[in-house]
Amino acid sequence: MAEDVYKPGNLLTSLKRHAAAIATGLRYLLSTKRMTVRYPEFLIDLGEGYRGMIRWRRERCISCGLCAQICPAAAMKMYKLPGEKKMFPGINYQRCIFCGFCVDVCPAFALEHTPVHDLSYEELDEMIYIPERFDTEWVSPALKEGARPVKVVFDEEVGLRHEPK
Amino acid sequence: MTSQGSSEPRASPYFWYRLMGRDEEGYDVYELFIGPQHPASGHMRIIVRLDGDIIVDAEPDIGYVHRTMEKLAEGREYIKNIPLFERATIIDAANITWGYVRAVEQLLGLEAPPRAEYLRTLLAEINRIASHLYGFGIAGIMLNHSTMFMWAFGDREVWVQLAEDLTGARLTHSYIIPGGVRRNLPQDFREKALKAIRYMEKRLQDYERIFVKNPVIIARYVDVGVIKADEAKRLGIVGPNLRAAGVRYDARIAEKYGAYPELEFEIPVREEGDAMARLLVRIEEIRQSMSIIKQILDKIPDGPIFHEKYYRMLPPKLKEFVESTGRLKLPGAFIRLKPEPGEAVARVEMGHGEVFYHIVSDGSIKPYRVRVITPAFRNVVLYRYLTRGARFMDLPAIYGSIDYFPPEGDR
Repeated sequence: MAEDVYKPGNLLTSLKRHAAAIATGLRYLLSTKRMTVRYPEFLIDLGEGYRGMIRWRRERCISCGLCAQICPAAAMKMYKLPGEKKMFPGINYQRCIFCGFCVDVCPAFALEHTPVHDLSYEELDEMIYIPERFDTEWVSPALKEGARPVKVVFDEEVGLRHEPK
Repeated sequence: MTSQGSSEPRASPYFWYRLMGRDEEGYDVYELFIGPQHPASGHMRIIVRLDGDIIVDAEPDIGYVHRTMEKLAEGREYIKNIPLFERATIIDAANITWGYVRAVEQLLGLEAPPRAEYLRTLLAEINRIASHLYGFGIAGIMLNHSTMFMWAFGDREVWVQLAEDLTGARLTHSYIIPGGVRRNLPQDFREKALKAIRYMEKRLQDYERIFVKNPVIIARYVDVGVIKADEAKRLGIVGPNLRAAGVRYDARIAEKYGAYPELEFEIPVREEGDAMARLLVRIEEIRQSMSIIKQILDKIPDGPIFHEKYYRMLPPKLKEFVESTGRLKLPGAFIRLKPEPGEAVARVEMGHGEVFYHIVSDGSIKPYRVRVITPAFRNVVLYRYLTRGARFMDLPAIYGSIDYFPPEGDR
């Protein structure tokens, strides 16, 4: 590889190298290929495998409490609902680190990841989802506002390309 | 130059020397504090003593991002420590957790199935490339080469995307767990990885033209911050910094873990020991990692990704889910792993160098003691030894070339 960086260069090699560096920079400056995604006009569709906001389904939950036990950040807790004998999980998104252990340990498929990740909150209390609120469908606010979903494509020329879906 | 009249004129150099803290013997040392608010690669402070433009001494003042990780680990179950140690080196999460998991596996008497070892190696090499690119970008911006910074961070995104496809998370993968890995290889992964490799090979040539062979960079890097093999061994330097000083040492070879014994790769070594050698070793390591990824994709054996002992505990419905989606389900017993009393040590080669874990188990569900020695912590001493006698201008060049990552050093 770049063995000759250690050889003493003369004015000519130096000039050549300066020219090569500037030419490389110019080539990319004038190129129209960009890796950037212009969020929130565009939103990367992350697909099924992404570990985003966690969806809980009450009808599937067997109240085993494994999710609360395995949570490394103590974000998941079991709550007692009024008029119910069983306890159900609630999540605190101030603490959640999205490791997905709760989803992996759930034996009843009551917890699953969604690709939604771009939520923001005005108040800290809103980030705590007690079981009544936890059983919700997550929607990306950008998508709600009309962002166009794009998918990530690996490309030999640009690295990553984002194609409209 | 003495002045006439009662008071010294302000323009006299002596006035400035006094401001610089010249002592009574006429020896002027100027003390300069760099940091601690994120000087370049994280919260740390370098206390530099300057004689004019020459660095007399540079003292790394670390500990600004210390999070008592070793103590926190004593209060958590074994599996919960994986996301914790990940946060020491967020840019190299797979490698730093692999060391911990290897030590826990020794305590539990487990061995991951071959396919899991290959998948671990795959993610470790993706992380190594991403980690080197991160360091590369930081080194670039420290020389005011903002193009290199943007390019390296942009291209790192390709590898972060690959890791996301494999694990579901960009940086905090929590992928390597005792007994195996959490996800199987996605179907279209091979094609994506090969495209990423071809792209990166092309980009490395661009890097060479705009950065490595750029006469400005050569002037800043060649013969700057030189450390020789003897000195590097004496100080206990690890990783690319050691190999750039001419010592052929790599934990991947020394320890023979994962799928490395079955793969062919070279350990790039250079004799010069200067900042340029450290940069060239890292670039060559990116090439070697890409070759390793190619070999893994060709050679990866079929089979389970999780140890039979725990996989057996899953009910048939969950087993079916694992088979069909490739996403692992954990048995409830996994929360409270209970190793026999004893001690285990493990080391793993990270992007920054060798990480060492020593776990003491007292037979309970939580470790009695976890000792982590991170590569950044072992390399931090270089600040003192590389900068002595260098010009102040060389400090950012040396700083960037060491690839020091403060959260990792402080733990």
